[in-house]
Amino acid sequence: MTASHYRRNALIFVLILSLFTVLVSALSAGAGSDVIATSFIKTLGKTLCLALVAIAMDLIWGYAGILSLGHFAFFALGGYMIGMWLMYERTKDIVTQSLNQATIPPTDQEIIDGIGTQIFGVVGSNEFPVIWMFADSLIAQALLIILVPALLAYLFGWFAFRSRVTGVYLSILTQAFTLALSLYLFQNESGLRGNNGLSGLQNLPYVDANQDLVSLWFFWASAVALGFGYLGASYVVSGKFGSVMRAIRDNEARVRFLGYKVETYKLAVFVGTAIIAAIAGALYYPQAGIVNPAEMAPIASIYLAVWVAIGGRGRLYGSVIGAIIVSLLSTWFTGGQAPDLSFGVFTLKWVDWWQVLLGVSFVLVTLYAPKGIGGLFDLLSRRGPSS
Amino acid sequence: MMCSGEGLLASPLNEVLGAHRDTILKSSRKSIGPAITALAESGLKSAEVTLEIWRDKDMWYRASDDKFYRVQGDDVFDLASGQRIATFVKDEYKQIKPNSGVRAIISSALVGFHLNSTDRDKRLAAIKSIQRNPKPEHLLTLKASITEESDADLLDIKSQLLQILTIQYGTTPQNRIAAIEAVSRSLSLDIRAALNPILATELRLGDAIPESANLVRILTPGTDGFPVKTAYDMLVGQKLATPIPTTADFLTALEDNIDAARVGDVPVAQLFDPEKRLEAYEVLQKQGLAPKRPSEAEVLSAVNSYIFYEQYLEENAAVTGAAEKALRSIETKVNLFRTVDLGLDALSLASIYFLAAIGLAITFGVMGVINMAHGEFIMMGAYTGYVIQQIIPDHTISIIVAVPVAFMVTFGAGVAMERLVIRWLYNRPLETLLATFGISIALQQIAKNIFGTQARPLTSPEWLGGSWVINDVVSISYIRIAIFAMALLFFAVFLFIIKRSRLGLETRAVTQNPSMASAMGINPDRVNMLTFGLGSGVAGIAGVAIGLFAKVTSEMGNDYIVQSFMSVVVGGVGNIWGALAGATLVGFMQKGIEWFNPSNTLAAQTYMILFVIIFIQFRPRGIIALKGRAAGD
Repeated sequence: MTASHYRRNALIFVLILSLFTVLVSALSAGAGSDVIATSFIKTLGKTLCLALVAIAMDLIWGYAGILSLGHFAFFALGGYMIGMWLMYERTKDIVTQSLNQATIPPTDQEIIDGIGTQIFGVVGSNEFPVIWMFADSLIAQALLIILVPALLAYLFGWFAFRSRVTGVYLSILTQAFTLALSLYLFQNESGLRGNNGLSGLQNLPYVDANQDLVSLWFFWASAVALGFGYLGASYVVSGKFGSVMRAIRDNEARVRFLGYKVETYKLAVFVGTAIIAAIAGALYYPQAGIVNPAEMAPIASIYLAVWVAIGGRGRLYGSVIGAIIVSLLSTWFTGGQAPDLSFGVFTLKWVDWWQVLLGVSFVLVTLYAPKGIGGLFDLLSRRGPSS
Repeated sequence: MMCSGEGLLASPLNEVLGAHRDTILKSSRKSIGPAITALAESGLKSAEVTLEIWRDKDMWYRASDDKFYRVQGDDVFDLASGQRIATFVKDEYKQIKPNSGVRAIISSALVGFHLNSTDRDKRLAAIKSIQRNPKPEHLLTLKASITEESDADLLDIKSQLLQILTIQYGTTPQNRIAAIEAVSRSLSLDIRAALNPILATELRLGDAIPESANLVRILTPGTDGFPVKTAYDMLVGQKLATPIPTTADFLTALEDNIDAARVGDVPVAQLFDPEKRLEAYEVLQKQGLAPKRPSEAEVLSAVNSYIFYEQYLEENAAVTGAAEKALRSIETKVNLFRTVDLGLDALSLASIYFLAAIGLAITFGVMGVINMAHGEFIMMGAYTGYVIQQIIPDHTISIIVAVPVAFMVTFGAGVAMERLVIRWLYNRPLETLLATFGISIALQQIAKNIFGTQARPLTSPEWLGGSWVINDVVSISYIRIAIFAMALLFFAVFLFIIKRSRLGLETRAVTQNPSMASAMGINPDRVNMLTFGLGSGVAGIAGVAIGLFAKVTSEMGNDYIVQSFMSVVVGGVGNIWGALAGATLVGFMQKGIEWFNPSNTLAAQTYMILFVIIFIQFRPRGIIALKGRAAGD
């Protein structure tokens, strides 16, 4: 696929996304209509974020050939970083208001102690851990959304790529890394409220707006992030960098002999996609309202791979389609909205059997349709393989 | 002793009781002591029975002849002989109703009798009762009963108890020190519990240290974990200093004195500043409107005018010294055995990981097929065991049946999976990983649909219950020993299969060079199928073993899959020795890290994984790396 194809695809994508956003906004409760419920706006917004992290997954796996089973950890980390600010500010708001009721105005220390008790009471503490030192500043915390996952990805990637761990081994290592991170966050001592996670993130502090409006804002933000993410990814893969990525995927040794610094490229992709995942997560969790260590369990990252594989890896729109279709279907089936199938003696409840269907279809896609849903587009346009 | 009609001979028992008639009738906890002691020490045969009757509220007093009787139903019995002497007439008798306090004293006195009882259970119960609630008076009774004791086990327990009682209540310091020194090699928890109270200390303060004090150390306020605040609080507690108002009092004082939005000349709006708050309080204090708040200098000078010291509650320095020495030597020994215990724990964890990983060592290690559904095969094995236990109620037989059945079930599942999915994906490891993940997700959900989300028990047979207790520190449950033995057995069997059997030879040939193997007349399809089935079958057996001590849930595979892969990767891909080395390293690492931070197994797992990631840096091919052609690249 040439650069012009990428440009065309990106244009079509942004066009569809804009139309979709405008349409949904017009029909939302935030705009005065009641066709689309606020909860569904949130679902749509979250789905867009998942599409964004799927793009990151596609870049690292579909294009660079590194099957990372750890990118959902970066996603959740992004959520944690923004969650710290949201939770701190909201609690501060509440604590200040309640302390101001007293006759004597509170000291700064009293306010901070009050916030600490509110936030860490559930884990039997009231002291702020060091990692919360920037929680009062949106700018610092927003920077951390990028810096923390980037640093972790850099350290892990540097170790892993330097020792030439590749293929399945790397996948297992990333999975282990994710497991280690999630186990770490499960501890109360980690300073992020253990298995309680951060909650109440759907409330924006200092803003007097109802959820109808807030959900719409986040929906827009997610759409903008997805749009820019797609454009950026499209730009990267259409240029020389993209060609090197694909070359590494197809024959790493040959690229190395040609004089390219394979490790540096891999590291750049790994860190870059970690940042994209973190940004997607930072937009996702305020819409979900809660982030906890269970979110970054290894299985979540595997689902991410499932979306990309079903959508069709190695093509950006494929990953987006996969993420949107599978996650929406998943919501539909597990939400109990799908009608049960009755076979006389046996009634198939989708709530119970959706996972089985997902697993089996995943196997089938791997075996018989390696191009995923994206392959349908090839059939339509009768064009050869994309890359 | 025969009695005729109403005329009773004046029995010694009645003499004793008669002497204490008033206190018995009064039945007060405070005054009853001498009466019970007199009865208990009377040396009468009937004393024990009488105490029991008394305790059970069956003792009645008849005023007409000033004697005590046992009343049961409509009959009146003589206490000493137990002979029925009259019909019960309610008006003539008065029941003795000991309250719970008195009954406790009676029970305690009875313990002495029970120690010498002919019934072993009664003796044991009496010993237990002393252990629960030791009293100085038990010392002599126990000592006396030891010479009579015939049962060897009980004799041991009694001797130890005697040591403990001597340590606590020995009459002379020499006795106690001798007892302390005698136990300094024991590991018993009871002994440690008896030694610790001797070393109990208390903080004291005064103008000087009394000569008699058994001093631990002198404390300087503001140093070694003894803040000035604590010292001052001690002074306040002994009414030697004025208390510092609490934050709440401080705020209340400020609040109560708000006058036209000002407190002591400071505007209320400025009181968010701690400095201003102090300033306002100063003013209030000067005006006498608030309780005095000592300044820091005052606090310091008050504290410095006294000596603070820590002293043992036990007055005799020789006793505390001996106790300290004994505890130190016990501590060293306990630590040594703890290490042994930890080693056993680590060994058993390693054998669990090895069992979980050995199937992977074959499918992933030897064949190079990455099977993410391996954990689900373990789960299938465990559920097979559960189902069989539902059919066969006898635990021993059901386990014996479950092992081969679990092997067959997962062998079948493995073969089916190899035929349907994996053989299309050889040499595409990433695709294999993903497809087997799909299977893993589906299997987990199917198990959840069939068996529900709650954990199912897999009960181990009776003879595997309990543990092998070596001493109070080191013990290991039989089930873990069984798993260890099983791991060793499997290791030997698979080493044999891979190295010595025809199938093993063919497997190695197919792994190294499928086309050449095929040219030699080996059917690679068949060999791959069988090998994969074998690896999966082992996972099923491992599932039965793991199910015996862990809960069987649909998600149990998740708990082992990462550790299993770690074991194989760390140990070195390609042979069974590697899996053994890997599982051992991973198991010992995890226990070792837990040792530093015992309360936190999560942290141990976290650091263990980090360690493995770093370990791979230095030995990317694992501990036991294949060399040359066998390495496969």
